[in-house]
Amino acid sequence: MPRRYRADPRSERISVEMEGMAVIYHRPSGITHLLAAPAPEILDALSDQALDVDGIAACLAAEFEIAAEDEIAAVVADRLIELEGAGLVARI
Amino acid sequence: MAHEGPMNEEPREGHPAAEVAPTRRRLLMLGAVGASAVVTIRPALASTAGSILNCEIPVPDPGHSGNWIDADGKLVAPNTPGAYPPALRPLTGEQVKSNLRYGRSYPGTSYDQSRAYTNYIRRLQQGTSGFTCYASLQMPRG
Repeated sequence: MPRRYRADPRSERISVEMEGMAVIYHRPSGITHLLAAPAPEILDALSDQALDVDGIAACLAAEFEIAAEDEIAAVVADRLIELEGAGLVARI
Repeated sequence: MAHEGPMNEEPREGHPAAEVAPTRRRLLMLGAVGASAVVTIRPALASTAGSILNCEIPVPDPGHSGNWIDADGKLVAPNTPGAYPPALRPLTGEQVKSNLRYGRSYPGTSYDQSRAYTNYIRRLQQGTSGFTCYASLQMPRG
């Protein structure tokens, strides 16, 4: 079964958009992060439900109106490594 | 001068511009594999003390959970002589700080095993689980 990922609920972070980037304060860690697309979108998708890479890619495909989910999946996998390293996303 | 290459926004032969260009632009918005999209700014000073010491560092990170750690902190194959199995549970920022400052061993581990784990943590790179936690420990408090 593919690995699934989960983020804290939206209530656990404060997000402000600034010049096309998202500045996110993560309450549990008290750490602030600067995120570029599609990292904020991935975080939002994982706040509602646990998803694997393909599930996230499908969400982003709808959000960005792109059909090429396999291309998105490669980017998603890369961003997940970063988000996990930053402590914003966890594997379950 | 004609611009040719992968970043060319011209439609490919047989594909009307309206179909190809918007999708290409949206893909570019997604960023590239290998590019960075997450930058940790700094810990919020108000909650630094509590949150950082409670943050966790898995040893090794979940992507290498099968590997053992040698004395230098490098990831090696399981059962490598002189290497240690993964930590049973993630180390907390508090434990890592105690080890760094006072040489206190991690719970249930020998002095040498603790030193191997700490050497692993010192090698953590941006993007690896626990890096932000370790980096936060190094930051001066305001």
